[in-house]
Amino acid sequence: MTSSAIIAIAAALAISISTIGPGIGQGIAASKAMEAMARQPEMVGTLRTNMILALAIMEALAIYGLLISFILIAKM
Amino acid sequence: MTFNTDFSIGKPIITIWVIIAVLTILSILVTRRLKDVPGPLQNIVEMAVEKLEDYFGGTLGFENMRRYFGMFATLFIFIVVSNYSGLIPTAGETFAVPTASISVTAALAVIAFFTTHTIGIQRQGVGGYAKSFLKPIAFLLPLTLLDQMVRPFSLAIRLYGNIYAEEMVTAQLRKMFPVLLPLVMQVLSLLFCLIQAMVFTMLTAVYVHEAIGGDE
Repeated sequence: MTSSAIIAIAAALAISISTIGPGIGQGIAASKAMEAMARQPEMVGTLRTNMILALAIMEALAIYGLLISFILIAKM
Repeated sequence: MTFNTDFSIGKPIITIWVIIAVLTILSILVTRRLKDVPGPLQNIVEMAVEKLEDYFGGTLGFENMRRYFGMFATLFIFIVVSNYSGLIPTAGETFAVPTASISVTAALAVIAFFTTHTIGIQRQGVGGYAKSFLKPIAFLLPLTLLDQMVRPFSLAIRLYGNIYAEEMVTAQLRKMFPVLLPLVMQVLSLLFCLIQAMVFTMLTAVYVHEAIGGDE
């Protein structure tokens, strides 16, 4: 295998593996937030903003993977 | 790493200029003759401003929100209009969506970064602001600093990644089957564009709230 092929595989792995964790985490967070919204509809506004914030912070992990794969592609 | 020294004016910049011109002309038109009983246009804009005030007021508190409303509302309106410009036909060919270019989102993130720290120093003084990094425990200082440094990157890449991916998916769908199929993604992007603008400004608001000193 040439080195650029290895880098291509590494870049694909970096982003694909790094999306697994945040995916699971965001699923759990969103489902709990939905439950809370169903239980207390009067809190929907606060819950929604907090949920979006929490999701955004979890998304940062996937973004680091994306960043790494961009860096790897630049090295190709 | 090599630096890009090509300073020619690209498509995103021209789109930004057009967006700025449109927003400026719209604001002048709306605020030129303000009436007590608002007309349809003034009504819509008033509603938008009230929604934005509620949205940022929820995070920052009313006083701070009024003080920094101009900055946050400008960021929000600019990002939302840039994102939605991807829905105009021929986006990506005759003109480029500004937020689907990493330079633009990086610039926005740099604005957010410096705004946060400037406001922090303004409100707490240099010493007070430096001390706020030692909370909750001084032991965590390296991690806090790392967190601060990583924030602009995550802001920039989050916005860029989401909008770019969305544009790419729409373009690919259009290549596969140009009639009606891209519509699926575009309906979704109606929602995502707004959410990404909300996330960007909400995170900036949270950072500024932290820099001010939280709820003390």
